Order: sequence, then C-alpha cells, then structure tokens
Amino acid sequence: MNAASVTVLPRRTPPSILVVENDVRIRCLVSDELRAIDFKVLEASSPDEALTVLDAMRIDLVFLAIGPLGSRGGLDVVRLIRARRMPTRIILASDGGAALAGMDADELGLILSKPYRAAQVVEFVIRILSWPEAGT
Amino acid sequence: MSTISTNIPLRADTPLPTVLVVEDEVLIRLVIADYLRDCGYKVHEAVSGDEAVAILQAPEVSIDVVFSDVEMPGDMDGFALARWVRANKPGLQVILTSGVERSADIAATLCEAGPLMRKPYGSQDVVDRIRQLAAKARRS
Repeated sequence: MNAASVTVLPRRTPPSILVVENDVRIRCLVSDELRAIDFKVLEASSPDEALTVLDAMRIDLVFLAIGPLGSRGGLDVVRLIRARRMPTRIILASDGGAALAGMDADELGLILSKPYRAAQVVEFVIRILSWPEAGT
Repeated sequence: MSTISTNIPLRADTPLPTVLVVEDEVLIRLVIADYLRDCGYKVHEAVSGDEAVAILQAPEVSIDVVFSDVEMPGDMDGFALARWVRANKPGLQVILTSGVERSADIAATLCEAGPLMRKPYGSQDVVDRIRQLAAKARRS
C-alpha cells in the first residue's frame, strides 16, 4: 500500500479516564472538570476499586493520586498496567518519598506533586491524549 | 423500557435534578452513574455514607436526589444516611436500594420516594423513580 493512501480517521469516541483519588471532594472536582470537556470519566476511591475497573473495561488513561507517604496500593495499579502491557497512560499525583522509592522512572509516567490543582490534571490529560483533537 | 417512563413527561424548561449515587460496589456504581449521565442528569458518586455526607456538606456541590445502597461498609449505612439527610437536608429526596428483603419496612419509614428498590434494579427503573420524585416536587 502506498503510504500516501493511508487516511487517519479522527477518533469518534472520547477517551476514557479513570480518576483514582481517595478524597471524594477532590475526586468529584477533577472528574467534573474532565467531563466538562467531554472525556468519559470513571471514578474509583481506592487502588482496589481501580484494579476492579481495569479488569473490567478498557481505560485510556489513569489519573492516580496515590495514598499517603509509604502507601504501596497505588503503585500496584501501575505495576498491573505495566505487567499486562496495557496501552493505558498514567498520571500520578504523589507527595513523593517512600511510595516512589525503588520505582523505575520510566515505569511511573507523568508525576504531579500533591497538592495539585484540577486544572493541572486537565492540562496534563489533554496533552497526553491529544484530545480534543484539533478541529473537533 | 418500563411503562412508567412513558407516563411521566419531563417539561423541557425544567432542569434535571442532580443525583448523588452512593454505592460501594464500584462496577454497579459506574453502570448506574453512567446511565444517569447518558440520560442528561448531573451525577456525583460516593462510595460510602461518610463520603456522601462529605459531598452533601460541600458548598460547591448542590444535590437534589440521593440514590443510595442500604448495605455499605463503615459507620453509616444507607438507613443512617437517610436519617442524616432528613435531619440536615430536609428538602432533599432519598431513594434507597437493597438486596436484603427485610430492609423494605425500615426504608418505608425513611424515604418519601416510595418503597425500597430491590436489587438488582434496572437502570431505567431508577430514572423512572427520579422522574416520579421530580414530578411530585413540582406539584407540591
């Protein structure tokens, strides 16, 4: 096939984003801002819920606000995504420290520092997913 | 689609109520929240009674209807949440759902929204119940 004949069709359905944040008010705020620009947003309150959702449906991007310093639960979600070679992109929000110690930087994806603003998350998501596409 | 849904028209000029879905089973919560959003409702989600109260007390959020499971982990189950709503947000409507038979009688004393919805429920049945509440609120 001639390369010139290949047409890239615009994506018709919005990307799906899983917001994993244990603070309900922050989760609600971030999710609402992402929905306002037409992403399909699913919410999880814990890494366990996130793992259940990831087992059940295709997710394009996980925004994972991992727990307090030293918590490992959130990183289990990262490991699952990497181990299964899922195409899911990852944005982490962390207070750094022990939770990220020993993790391969390539494995982690983009990292936001806590406390983060919802607008920062939206900006990162748009940049990573290139959505909304130009002209849509 | 149930017959009720065709009998309760929504007036075009009436904004749809904002719904708080309270359910600890994540896949059940996602399905019903997604369905309600597809129907045009603004939906917030909570995993527990405690989270529901945090949302209900948040100044930036306004809720019209709480749709809550009865059986939930933590200190506050669906009944306790309904009691909290009655005491602190009296204008707000509560719909309770449960897979446990004996919950029905208790629910009847706590909700103006009719009998308890048995699990498993149909997504459209939830919409119908919310519409009934909205219609009732307009009449009163």
